[in-house]
Amino acid sequence: MTVIFGIAAGLAFLGALGVVLSQRTLYSALSLVVNMVSLAVLFLLLDAQFLAAVQIIVYAGAVMVLFVFIIALLSPGAEERVRPLELRMLLGGVAAVVFTLVIGRLTLNGITVGPRGRLHGGLGPFAPTLVNAHGQVQTLGEQLFTTYLLPFEVTSLLLLVAAVGAVYLSKRRRVGQ
Amino acid sequence: MSGMFPGFLILSAALFSIGAVGVLVRRNPLVVFMSIELMLNAANLALITYARYTHTMAGQVFALFVIAVAASEVVVGLALITGVYRSGRRLDLDELSEMSE
Repeated sequence: MTVIFGIAAGLAFLGALGVVLSQRTLYSALSLVVNMVSLAVLFLLLDAQFLAAVQIIVYAGAVMVLFVFIIALLSPGAEERVRPLELRMLLGGVAAVVFTLVIGRLTLNGITVGPRGRLHGGLGPFAPTLVNAHGQVQTLGEQLFTTYLLPFEVTSLLLLVAAVGAVYLSKRRRVGQ
Repeated sequence: MSGMFPGFLILSAALFSIGAVGVLVRRNPLVVFMSIELMLNAANLALITYARYTHTMAGQVFALFVIAVAASEVVVGLALITGVYRSGRRLDLDELSEMSE
């Protein structure tokens, strides 16, 4: 378990660094694919099998294909003038380290999970063994269509608006309009 | 298993920070979008981690919503980028700082 976590976490970290540090856009996109797939492995470790599958299908499948397609269409070559040792990159690196420490400290501060955990309200009813016995997708679906029905419906509206917006934005306008 | 809980959260914080710095430092709008995806994924990792270790389902449900939001954001964003490209301007955020039209 810990070994798999180490490998996947390291790959996810390296992929994230590759996205920001690559000079070429296509290499950034490929690093992002590495990051997404490693995150899917981490989701599997966290007993979220359905979300791991969704991560692979939606992100590594649809979103990244769209990214690579746009990169190939626009071919925005080596337009970046950023060098890894440039001042803004150094400042960015320092900011990333500080930011990581601050967020990590805040999220871990006073939160301990386990039999004697101090999380407010204690543990919920969805223990991983129970969820897996009932079925991961079944449990998620039941929650989605009962407790979270309104957000679910709003999400469908959001997808509709996004589709309409994309069609409108990519419509060819006549000159002079 | 409970021993990996801080590891997941620290990794999530690190990925989010790298994404945030990517948004601030890079000038290529495509890379900026990828950095935003990175941040959304880091948030997803934190949500699922908490869902797993607090034995609740809300984190997973909201991670699903975050994925839907990210997908629609990418669609609109890439349509905007192609629009900017088609109008003949260079894809450089420093030069696109005035969104005038």
